[in-house]
Amino acid sequence: MWRRFWTLVAGAARGPRSPRSCTRQGSGAPVPGSGATVFALSSGQGRCGIAVIRTSGPASGHALRSLTAPQDLPPARSACLRLLSHPRSGEPLDRALVLWFPGPQSFTGEDCAEFHVHGGPAVVSGVLQALGSVPGLRPAEAGEFTRRAFAHGKLSLTEVEGLADLIHAETEAQRRQALRQLDGELGHLCRAWAKTLTKALAHVEAYIDFSEDDNLEEGVLERVDSQVRELELALSAHLRDARRGQRLRSGAHVVVAGPPNAGKSSLVNLLSRKPVSIVSPEPGTTRDVLETPVDLAGFPALLSDTAGLREGVGPVEQEGVRRARERLEQADLILAVLDASDLASPSSCNFLDTIVTPAGAGNPKENSQRLLLVLNKSDLLPRGGPDPSPNLPPHLLLSCLTGEGLDGLLEALRKELAEVCGDPSTGPLLTRARHQHHLQGCLDALGHYKQTKDLALAAEALRLARGHLGRITGGGGTDEILDIIFRDFCVGK
Amino acid sequence: MFSLRGCGLCVASSLTKNHLSLARFIGDSAAPLATNFDVVVIGGGHAGTEAAAAAARCGSRTLLLTHRVDTIGQMSCNPSFGGIGKGHLMREVDALDGLCSRICDQSGVHYRVLNRRKGPAVWGLRAQIDRKLYKQNMQKEILNTPLLAVQEGAVEDLILTDPEPEHAGKCRVSGVVLADGSTVHAESVVLTTGTFLRGVIVIGLETHPAGRLGDQPSIGLAQTLEKLGFVVGRLKTGTPPRIAKESVNFSILNKQTPDNPSIPFSFINETVWIKPEDQLPCYLTHTNPRVDEIVLENLHLNSHVKETTRGPRYCPSIESKVLRFPNRLHQVWLEPEGMDSDLIYPQGLSVTLPAELQEKMITCIKGLEKAKIIQPDKSSSVFTYFVSFILWSGYGVQYDYLDPRQITPSLETHLVQRLFLAGQINGTTGYEEAAAQGVIAGINASLRVKRKPPFVVSRTEGYIGVLIDDLTTLGTNEPYRMFTSRAEFRLSLRPDNADSRLTFRGYKEVGCVSQRRYERASWMKSSLEEGISVLKSIEFSSSKWKKLIPAASISIGKSLPLRALDVLKYEEVDMKLLAKAVPEPLKKYIKCRELAERLKIEATYESVLLHQQQEIKEVQQDEALQLPKDLDYLTLRDVSLSYEVREKLHFSRPETIGAASRIPGVTPAAIINLLRFVKTTQQRQMAMNELPKIDQSLCDTDRLEERQL
Repeated sequence: MWRRFWTLVAGAARGPRSPRSCTRQGSGAPVPGSGATVFALSSGQGRCGIAVIRTSGPASGHALRSLTAPQDLPPARSACLRLLSHPRSGEPLDRALVLWFPGPQSFTGEDCAEFHVHGGPAVVSGVLQALGSVPGLRPAEAGEFTRRAFAHGKLSLTEVEGLADLIHAETEAQRRQALRQLDGELGHLCRAWAKTLTKALAHVEAYIDFSEDDNLEEGVLERVDSQVRELELALSAHLRDARRGQRLRSGAHVVVAGPPNAGKSSLVNLLSRKPVSIVSPEPGTTRDVLETPVDLAGFPALLSDTAGLREGVGPVEQEGVRRARERLEQADLILAVLDASDLASPSSCNFLDTIVTPAGAGNPKENSQRLLLVLNKSDLLPRGGPDPSPNLPPHLLLSCLTGEGLDGLLEALRKELAEVCGDPSTGPLLTRARHQHHLQGCLDALGHYKQTKDLALAAEALRLARGHLGRITGGGGTDEILDIIFRDFCVGK
Repeated sequence: MFSLRGCGLCVASSLTKNHLSLARFIGDSAAPLATNFDVVVIGGGHAGTEAAAAAARCGSRTLLLTHRVDTIGQMSCNPSFGGIGKGHLMREVDALDGLCSRICDQSGVHYRVLNRRKGPAVWGLRAQIDRKLYKQNMQKEILNTPLLAVQEGAVEDLILTDPEPEHAGKCRVSGVVLADGSTVHAESVVLTTGTFLRGVIVIGLETHPAGRLGDQPSIGLAQTLEKLGFVVGRLKTGTPPRIAKESVNFSILNKQTPDNPSIPFSFINETVWIKPEDQLPCYLTHTNPRVDEIVLENLHLNSHVKETTRGPRYCPSIESKVLRFPNRLHQVWLEPEGMDSDLIYPQGLSVTLPAELQEKMITCIKGLEKAKIIQPDKSSSVFTYFVSFILWSGYGVQYDYLDPRQITPSLETHLVQRLFLAGQINGTTGYEEAAAQGVIAGINASLRVKRKPPFVVSRTEGYIGVLIDDLTTLGTNEPYRMFTSRAEFRLSLRPDNADSRLTFRGYKEVGCVSQRRYERASWMKSSLEEGISVLKSIEFSSSKWKKLIPAASISIGKSLPLRALDVLKYEEVDMKLLAKAVPEPLKKYIKCRELAERLKIEATYESVLLHQQQEIKEVQQDEALQLPKDLDYLTLRDVSLSYEVREKLHFSRPETIGAASRIPGVTPAAIINLLRFVKTTQQRQMAMNELPKIDQSLCDTDRLEERQL
């Protein structure tokens, strides 16, 4: 999938073209413009007055013109007020400031455009979707703007040192974001579609590679045709429906986790300043994941209270523990809560070993899943006594009962969330635009499948469609296809 | 190109050392130095013949060493060449002026293009081949190739010397030791020894070491490879029994006739040697539940199938077909073995049951009720080395192969400089896969001698590139066979355009392509370009096109004018029809059948290829970025890489960033880190190159000062 992922960097680092690649170029058809045009939200997440959306690539000018039609491009590098409307439906989106940066005098060195729109999620989402509908534009991959800047010599080598870390972090954040999006109905749908499509593609490939020498069963292609038809219907129904579809789960996902009875629910209630979770001295009170949108240290966040992690309890609580672990996977920030007076207990130790240590607390470079370790119930510790746990990773002391240590926690939260939210390319809005873009691409490719009679072209259309779904669900490599072929058919000699 | 070792002093001292040890080695050997070649190729199979001929075509004095000259060009398994994917490989071998396509055009008995109705990108040129003719024609070709000598002899060992310091590798091969103790000196050695490494033949529960009449060939060679530290895997394969032609009742079977006209494999042939009406038919029959029963009842007598040695995921033997897809009828193709052969090859009946049960199984198949399994005649061999004493019934072969991640895309081993591997030894199966590697190994063995950069086919350029890239970056744990589904740029890598992809490179970069072929390819290329631009220039309204070509399903609603190229995209339109409608200027493009067909194909894929070109360009950019060959990934400092990634890179030693990015488990972040490292190294290198100049100017200043003093 990421074959193209960073080619631009390679292009820059390559230096002078070797004579061999020149000869090779010679035999091919003329190459169209240099790479795709990408777009992303480039201002911070959350509620802000103005949101900045950027595009980079050769179709930037076209995109700008499409959204501001019938006006022409504004003068280079000066802000103009324009009415943005959807290029297909003509529906007005926002009155916004737009800027036009013809390359190479731009951040990435390519043609760039900027849209400064009013910051609400609806407007931002509308503009992102409008951009996605312009031919030649696609949502940016993790770190893509930076990579392009590097490719065009706009970043120094020292600046690039951070690039690998950035890409690692963004890839991780995007993966978690995608996990969240894929959690639930849309996820089930996408995975089911991908499965159907992969199988359909494998069967067409089998028909191409084996049908003349080996005996495939009758009707392989007919079955594929009907599967593709069904898939097309499902996708187009979903895309028509998408606007009033999923609730937008905006903000950073902060998950409170810990062993039973550490005081997780108390912390959630304290942070959200309302009784979200039932609190009791009995371990295992919280059994499901409870979500509440809160404003944490000025950042929008979705705070999740989870069941205490322990083994060997009743089926309901077991399910709660399973959900808690699932939610941990998807978290942008984990608030790990331990009972300061009970650090030696098996459940505390187990939690430290399985959750805290792997997340590499205090070392965000190693693993970009962030974690804050909070020792609750500090009021139970002897006053002025020594730190109860000098061997633990960096941690904060807190008493949910007295409120002592809350300011420190909020300050730590502010720092962490600033990092999490500072990266707009992984936000839910872009994820959604990306989904829409790839689902539409998949649907368009399926349309080509139907039109063509040349089986090699038909297979190419399915490969393209599978590629689009693969960007959402992963998978789709040659070996997966061959596995299905050899599983479903008796072929080979 | 990014080699960090460049300091002149260091090179000079190592070279001296190298010379000394080389001289000592030759002095030590008892036998007099008989011969001296640029390239020595070991093995006369499909990889070996192509390698030897390619090296000779490149201008290297080449020696082909084989056990027996009369087994050169032996088709040891099925009597056919080509097919889907495999036919693509043959066209590419031919585009580099390789042998197998031309020999097949002189030796076939049944020519047929598979997938005719599925689009020209996946057409599969295929032919039943007369074994005897193929061998004769191949031997004639090999024995008449200028600069190519052939010698009989078993290779016992490699002569190894100190490595060349400017290349990576433990040591360097400088020749071979033969069984009689004599030595042959060589600048490069190509090893194409097929399944010889610990080969074992299995029939039922019996196993026979696959040595020829008890003399264990090349044991020394196998041991040397092992001692050098090559990682070895084990594979198995099988072959069906042969049936007497007169014992088959063809009258009740489905007959398949060859194509008319026959399409030749080679770009330089207009026709094949034999008329369609003189060619032989094939016949189709099926297995039945009784075959399943016999296989299932006798699994205890069949060690080949039960053992854990990795077989392929696809079903090569009737046993695995029955086990994995029970209660089905499986196809059996009855294929002729040659014009005057009285043997039939039952394709699809690969079997390792004990011999008497094979006959029992075969005689319950329709048309084969009275079939006789033929015992081999002692003079004809089944496998190049291990013959004579095994029956010509079906059998399985188990053998060692060297993990192909230990070779570079030019097929040279990482461990031993100037040692090239091609064919089954790399874990592939099939004549065509072997031939494809043979050409590349031969070319590169020759280029290495001439100290020229290697000739690498990218996976964006050909199935040869896909094959070698898959092998060298991913390795394989089943016999690797080519399928078109392995090629991501399938629409660009077509059988029709292999010449435009490879012939020019072969001619200009390597010199392995004859003048005649080059001129033919150039003519075709310019005719195609001209034809396409003419087709683009002719524009009419859709209603006029509809009137001109009523057969075409052009919808007349469109207001935009249509180009002739767009009209040619319609399935029912071909150049003939188009030239009839617009005789001027299109008439001249239908004079050559191939040209007319290729114009039609170019039109069919035009719009999709435009997109694919972009992707291809991006992949090629990655591949243009070379990684230093002598990087020690395990100890490399200044690069943040996980140990897992380091180990993977260390084992596969990818040559380019593109190849590194295809190795499973190498993350995008790791690639960026590598890239940064390469760039820094590049800068350091450039700075180093400038040093001498500074030295020079310093010296000048010194002198100036002296003079002033």
